[in-house]
Amino acid sequence: MLEIMPDWLLSWFSDDSLEMIDYLTNGKHLTWYASVRYTLFAAVLSALFAIGFGLIGAALKQSGFFLFRWIGNFYTAIVRGIPDILFILFFPLAIEQGVEYFIARSKCTAEQIATSVNWPPCEAAQWFLTTNDYLLMACLSLGLVYGAFVANVIYGALQAVPKGQLEAASAYGFNQKQIFWKFKIRQMWAYALPGLSNIWMLLIKATAFLSLLQVTDIVYWAGLLGTANYFPSAGMVHPNWNFQYYFVLFVFYILLTMVSEKFFNMLQAKASRGMSVVER
Amino acid sequence: MKKIILPVALALSVLTTPVMADKIRIATEGAYAPWNFLDDDGKLAGFEIDLGNALCAEAKLDCEFKANEWDSIIPNLIAGNYNAIMAGMSITAERQKKILFSNEYYPVNKSKLATESGTKVDVDNIKGMKIGVQGATVQADWLEKNLGADNTIKSYEKSDQTVAALYGGEVDIVLAGDGAYDEVIAASKGKLVFVGPGYDIGGGIGIGMLKTNTELAGKFNAAIATLKANGTVDTLIKKYFKKGPFYSVTMDSLKDKISALSARVDALEKK
Repeated sequence: MLEIMPDWLLSWFSDDSLEMIDYLTNGKHLTWYASVRYTLFAAVLSALFAIGFGLIGAALKQSGFFLFRWIGNFYTAIVRGIPDILFILFFPLAIEQGVEYFIARSKCTAEQIATSVNWPPCEAAQWFLTTNDYLLMACLSLGLVYGAFVANVIYGALQAVPKGQLEAASAYGFNQKQIFWKFKIRQMWAYALPGLSNIWMLLIKATAFLSLLQVTDIVYWAGLLGTANYFPSAGMVHPNWNFQYYFVLFVFYILLTMVSEKFFNMLQAKASRGMSVVER
Repeated sequence: MKKIILPVALALSVLTTPVMADKIRIATEGAYAPWNFLDDDGKLAGFEIDLGNALCAEAKLDCEFKANEWDSIIPNLIAGNYNAIMAGMSITAERQKKILFSNEYYPVNKSKLATESGTKVDVDNIKGMKIGVQGATVQADWLEKNLGADNTIKSYEKSDQTVAALYGGEVDIVLAGDGAYDEVIAASKGKLVFVGPGYDIGGGIGIGMLKTNTELAGKFNAAIATLKANGTVDTLIKKYFKKGPFYSVTMDSLKDKISALSARVDALEKK
């Protein structure tokens, strides 16, 4: 970093702060800053998964067929009751072993499957997970967990659309399909958005769990960089700086949620325009 | 349900098959300088990274290092997250029950006590001290067996944390394998010092692999023998540890050995 700074800029800083700038822009730190992409990517992808699962869940919950209704209620009840950290640890493992199970059936010999004490039974069935695999699985787990919340919010919002609106639409001669899409679903968003924005905030916070799955995200790097270093060959010698690094994370997450809040306020205004019931 | 799972699993297996090709994944801790650490660019570096790459080039293997926490490094090998471990791991009978070791690539050497200068330590009779050590190491086992009764042993996840504890006054002395504290003490500007002659703990350092993976062990052993013979291992030891022990016999190493032996004889005579 210092090499590309012009001389006049360099002369502005004292030697100490130059050293600090050099430290804060070394490869380790640049990797840390770049690892924000994992957090943002995970948040957005998990949110998409969550909306997908949520819509399916809500559809199941309000289905006329008892089995679907039962499945939908089971999904929301069970997922909401289990700590998300368990899901994050459990799902990737379950998926990995599930895939390995099927590969093992085709690639390992029957004898290996019967006698091996290790998992998977033979080397050929070993699935080495890369960071991206883990990232995808983490997003899927987060999507499943928060999908259950989304299902409840959307289900509640569908119920909240005033019956009178739908009856009025019917009186104006709209058919059932139009009433559902143009009135029920259209108005549902206005009721669902406050709840969804809340879930988005929770989801952003949950992305901090990524580091548990060996995804080298901002939390992982902050922990690593904050650890005391006493080896000159491994970089600047410094005592435990965990407090400083975690404080940066603290600020980062607050900024992220603040920006999200602004964004959701905009969406809310858009979704509820023309609706006297929810307009503020 | 099965109808859905099977195609998905098959699709995934097709997608992941290229990944399963002959790539050898080597786990290291990345926090045990100069053996292995993260350099300023955030990449793994150190004695074992250089040596590992040299060994793989020699054995014509396609290798890749990845970082893994020390305390889960053996369980994750057994779970199949990687094929080998190069993390300053001593070859011990205890570990050999679980995993297979290659021949050593770094000789047995002394583990040393370090303390803040000014702390009085009676090396022959250590009592009532708080001793810091990295957990799940041969040094931790040794301390528990030999000094555990009269002292408080505190174990830490990382080697760096033991030094932080020493500076912070949480512990009075720390124990680590040779080489791990050399640079720390040199950089401490006299605040930290080694005490005592050190102890012989554990065996040499070797590559850990799955017990079933004798094929890989054979390849590594052949490469280790070649690199020891052509001096590559010694060059790397010199580069990272600045001093021996070396595998080749040189005049300097003989002189070192003789002076160490005569110092021992002197000490015995005094007793």
